[in-house]
Amino acid sequence: MKRSLSKVLVVTLGLSLVLAACGKDDKKNDSSPTTAKAAKSSVPITIGSQDFQESKILAEIYAQGLKAQGYTASVKPLGASAYRKVELEAFKAGTINFAPEYAASMLEELNNKKGEATGDAKATTDKLNTYLPTVGSGLVALEPSDAVDTNAFVVTKKTSDDLGLTSLSDLATKGKTLKLGAVADCATNPNCVPGLKKVYNADFSNYTTLGAGQPIAQALEAGAITMGVLFSTDSTIAVKNFVLLKDDKHMLAADNVVPVVAKALNTAGFAEAVNKISAKLTTEELIKLNKQYDVDKADPAVIAKGFLTKEKLL
Amino acid sequence: MGAPVISLFWHFVTTAHNWSGRNGISHRALEHLRLSLAAMVAAALLSVPVAAWLGHIRRGGFVGQSAVNVGRAIPSLAILALLFPLSLRYGFGLGFWPTFAALVILAVPPMFANTYAAVRNVDPAVVDASRGMGMKPAEVLLRVEIPGGAGLILTGVRIAALQVIATATLGAYVGFNSLGSFINEGFGQRDDAKLLTGAVAVALCALSVDLVFGVIVRRATRWQRKGIRL
Amino acid sequence: MGPNSFIWWDWVGRHEHEIWLATLEHLRLTLLAVVIGLAISLALAAISLRWRPLYTPLAGFAGFLYTIPSLALFALLLPITGFNTLTAEIGLVSYTLAIFLRNIVEGVDSVSFAVTDAADGMGYGLARRLVTVELPLALPAIIAGLRIATVTTVGLVTVTGLIGQGGYGAFISAGLGRTFSTEIVVGGGLSVVMAVVLDVILIAVERFATPWARP
Repeated sequence: MKRSLSKVLVVTLGLSLVLAACGKDDKKNDSSPTTAKAAKSSVPITIGSQDFQESKILAEIYAQGLKAQGYTASVKPLGASAYRKVELEAFKAGTINFAPEYAASMLEELNNKKGEATGDAKATTDKLNTYLPTVGSGLVALEPSDAVDTNAFVVTKKTSDDLGLTSLSDLATKGKTLKLGAVADCATNPNCVPGLKKVYNADFSNYTTLGAGQPIAQALEAGAITMGVLFSTDSTIAVKNFVLLKDDKHMLAADNVVPVVAKALNTAGFAEAVNKISAKLTTEELIKLNKQYDVDKADPAVIAKGFLTKEKLL
Repeated sequence: MGAPVISLFWHFVTTAHNWSGRNGISHRALEHLRLSLAAMVAAALLSVPVAAWLGHIRRGGFVGQSAVNVGRAIPSLAILALLFPLSLRYGFGLGFWPTFAALVILAVPPMFANTYAAVRNVDPAVVDASRGMGMKPAEVLLRVEIPGGAGLILTGVRIAALQVIATATLGAYVGFNSLGSFINEGFGQRDDAKLLTGAVAVALCALSVDLVFGVIVRRATRWQRKGIRL
Repeated sequence: MGPNSFIWWDWVGRHEHEIWLATLEHLRLTLLAVVIGLAISLALAAISLRWRPLYTPLAGFAGFLYTIPSLALFALLLPITGFNTLTAEIGLVSYTLAIFLRNIVEGVDSVSFAVTDAADGMGYGLARRLVTVELPLALPAIIAGLRIATVTTVGLVTVTGLIGQGGYGAFISAGLGRTFSTEIVVGGGLSVVMAVVLDVILIAVERFATPWARP
């Protein structure tokens, strides 16, 4: 009797130890392979990605692009419903030290919605850099790219025709019956619900929380929601003929893609290496890459590789 | 965590505003319980009569048990994720129906397994005696086997109820406005007070249901425990 | 065939390596949680059996942990323990405690008095009696608990996909986000397969470990 119990325990423990070891080993094999050139930065780069497709793709683009230039880089997905606030927390905890961000939105998040963001990418990034040093052990925004991705408030063509909605200003008067669908952090994102209230006098605090991108687009199409917050680089807007409500009072500003990194990472040559990648990003390109994710169901890593190869960065 | 979060949490739940409206604690709790109850009733209707009958005729044990084992292993999140776009496409809307389906699938295995085992394992001597007394099969089932196995059957319902209440939180990811929404929003908005509110509210619902079932099970099996005092 | 069909086999073929890695990761998370949970529960059970009055509060606490929705527990732990396996494991282990503790204690309790009396009569101390007589005889109940805990944990590991952990949950979570049914079916389906396989293995283990129970 004693022997059978011991047998069982030994076998189970042995099996689990073997598998625990297996799991760990495979993790090692999967991390960035050492490249031919010596690793330039002694600090390994961990790029955090938020819970939407573009963030995941951009994270992979920077990771692979930097690896090709001799750095040690990997991507850390921050999980479902992880957006800017979770990312900031991850920066502070040291879990990540690099994230692809959006200049105007991040600025408004950090300055408590003061409204300092403008349509000028460089000016907005400079202003952002006055707030970043106080985050955690200090962050810095590198050069912004030309690619812009900001919140897109969309309705179906039918809704637009029925209610006469063409711009966000129309919401206060004609948009009272609309049901908004957005992601979990819309209630605290300055360019979402709070912005609609402050700039356009439209209260959408009772919105339905859904996953970014496809879930919102499909719910909108099916009529389960009547207004959705998508990203302006989402190809679905054009494909499904959604009407993008005009931001006539300029709530949204220069949301150019800008890499935000921990100060410790910004050693000699690093900014140049990153800017080399940022320089190749354009809005049209982002729309194409997002489409590969949404429609072709390609993996972010594969999409990134294709892009970098095309741009001769790999 | 610690003191500041607790005080933020306390502040959150003592602010009247947070209890009112569509996104308030009351409405979300009611929605959460409404869905859980609906799923439980549907699951019970689907599983208990069938399981009781199979247990009575002592058939279908292996198939039933295998189906239960497989059913128990199905991740509810996968059902939710699969049904969400389908629900939209076929006009069932978001939120309620995909979550309902996932919860029914979750609740059936424990209720089926326990009901089957309960009815099947009632003391054969008692069943024999009741047959000897001239009871028809349906009578034997309803007046002897089910009451005899009541404890186990109700325990199955109890387990199912707890799992359903806990898993209903996942509905927030497909647009079902419930207590899970506090968790989803709390995480995305980094609002620990909201997070805690969602967690505590669901835990309290589950605990209350558990306590109520504890009483029900004890009452239903009281006659079995009284025994004979000499 | 294509990205919008229920299962796009082409995608499955191209992702064999990722699926294999996810399998190992899922297995690792599950076994770690179950083994650690069992170890802790055995200790708690031993304590409960020695000092009876402690059983109700211990079982109550384990039961309380069980009622906290897994999603909430993970979300609450994240800021404290970080985006890693530890957070997932703390949650997963907590859920096994309620299942194991009750099964072990009730299993030991159900060992007939005649047997324990005989052991006492032969001069066995409490610890020796527990380890060499009661636990082995309670094995069927313990393995029953092991089966339930294992199947439950395999399912719960998928929820950790929502906090960025691996295993099959990552596929389900990704598939949810881009409404890609193939990923969801692969993640969910393989999760079911793993649970059933582990269950069958445990049934075999029970037969193997309790030869006296066979007719």
